[in-house]
Amino acid sequence: MSETTFKRFFGYEDAFAHPLTCGVVIGLSVLLLITPLIFLALRRFVGVSDSTYAEIWSRWRTWIWISVGLVVPILLGAAWVIAGVFALSLCCFREFARATGIFREKLIGLSAVLGLCLISFSIIDNYPRLFFATPILGIGMIAMVTIPQDRPKGFIQRVALGMMGYLFFGFSLGYLALLTIDPLYRPLILLLLVGVELNDVFAYCTGRLFGGRKLVPNTSPGKTVAGAIGAMVLTCTLTLVVGHYVMFQGTRMDQWHTLLIMGIGISGFGQFGDLLLSSIKRDIGIKDLGHVLPGHGGLLDRFDSLVIITPMYYHFLSVVLGPLGNGQAERILTGGGP
Amino acid sequence: MKGWEFQPARDLNLTGIERWRSLQREHGLFSSVARLVWWFLLRAAFYVWHRPVIIGREHLPLQPPFMLIANHSSHLDALLLASLLPAKWRDKVSPVAASDTFFDKHATAAFAAWILNALAIRRRGVRSHDLSEMRDHLARQGAIFIIFPEGTRSRSGEIQTFKSGIGRLVAASSVPVVPCYLDGCFRACPPSARYSKPFRLTVKIGKPLVFQNAPDNRAGWDAIAQRLQREVECLAEEYGAGGKE
Repeated sequence: MSETTFKRFFGYEDAFAHPLTCGVVIGLSVLLLITPLIFLALRRFVGVSDSTYAEIWSRWRTWIWISVGLVVPILLGAAWVIAGVFALSLCCFREFARATGIFREKLIGLSAVLGLCLISFSIIDNYPRLFFATPILGIGMIAMVTIPQDRPKGFIQRVALGMMGYLFFGFSLGYLALLTIDPLYRPLILLLLVGVELNDVFAYCTGRLFGGRKLVPNTSPGKTVAGAIGAMVLTCTLTLVVGHYVMFQGTRMDQWHTLLIMGIGISGFGQFGDLLLSSIKRDIGIKDLGHVLPGHGGLLDRFDSLVIITPMYYHFLSVVLGPLGNGQAERILTGGGP
Repeated sequence: MKGWEFQPARDLNLTGIERWRSLQREHGLFSSVARLVWWFLLRAAFYVWHRPVIIGREHLPLQPPFMLIANHSSHLDALLLASLLPAKWRDKVSPVAASDTFFDKHATAAFAAWILNALAIRRRGVRSHDLSEMRDHLARQGAIFIIFPEGTRSRSGEIQTFKSGIGRLVAASSVPVVPCYLDGCFRACPPSARYSKPFRLTVKIGKPLVFQNAPDNRAGWDAIAQRLQREVECLAEEYGAGGKE
């Protein structure tokens, strides 16, 4: 393993080398420290009910865990991000499997887990071409494994559910780890995560503020058109400002139209990811996918927005900036190759 | 086009110890793999440490659901009975365990539920709803229950009176009940011991009984409990008379 690669994997020394990383960590810490004061003020001057009060505290505690769980691996190095994304994918697939009932098909679950291992391996190996081949290798496996059991009844359903879970929560979320092949992975991942999470917050706030027409009432009764548009405007502003002044200075990304496309993408596809999970839940007829995060539901209820946007983000960056991680030694473990 | 029918996990809304205690609990791939590893290790440990002898294996039914009942004098009992079944049934075997001993603390509850696949039952104040849920679980899931009708480990090693709860589970049902007699467990690991001593263990398996025609009332339950106790005592006598080495 070359020195650059080692540094990328385990080099926590230059965790704060990029101003965006610094800014996000400081901003997040301040935000999480200030919000309790707001809760206390609300309690004293506005008078919220006990149950609401307990609810917001539980949400706040969960946010601390989420922030620590997301930011610390990113600061520590790429190896931890890859491990973290593997665990996240595993938990998300498990939630999806338990909600749809596909978890009873142990062999399909096993194939999906093997597929997840292959995805992580391809990223550790710095072998993006293998990564891009994992969808077809994985779904081939999922389709094959139950054939020898000779029970064609329900074949399409179980294979399709297995494939869907694997593609969305294994492959799609895997792109989050694939971003680590770029030396600037810390700010790139943080920009996406912060953008997507703030987009959720913007949508909620503007939706509450303006109300009005519902977006897709059958899928998600809480979402409004005003919320969607408000989130789009605010998120685009955010990416334009951060992209121009902090993140992409002097690169091909630093043009108003590329940054605008990125903003629209993060906001639009983020919201579609949200609605994708809502549609899944509505179809099954459940409210939450799990109870891992108190106040939020399952992990998927929190990370649903990332499912569609992450691959698009990666490929958009590659198209504009040139292939990510270019010039580094490829295929660290398998050797050979250019 | 007709829509798909989804069957979410029955315990989707439960968390923590509540989930471990629930009869609705369902496990997935990880626990199945963990159980496979546990089953191999357990069998290896028994083989090396206790060299168990199994008499009458041919009496075991070929397909679940069925129920193994035995005399109870040690924590080894349930492990021994579970380990003599084939590995492919590892997700179907459920020792029925006292909820006050095994499902009080988080760690033991998680182990009992996740690895042993134990089902919690209250020793006192058991509700008829719980029992009917268990009957339902047994028949519908094709499960294998391991039950000790004495209700607790014998402190003297002698067989104690069987409680009538066993009757409530099997009266008027077609699920076969297999009586077993366990010998050596008390010597190897009595309730007072922390670790087990390397004594040989013996399992004598009797012929399966079906109580389809037994009346589902108090008298019927008592009769079933007495009948099963007699069966286990007979196995013990047979074993004492000739089966011993």
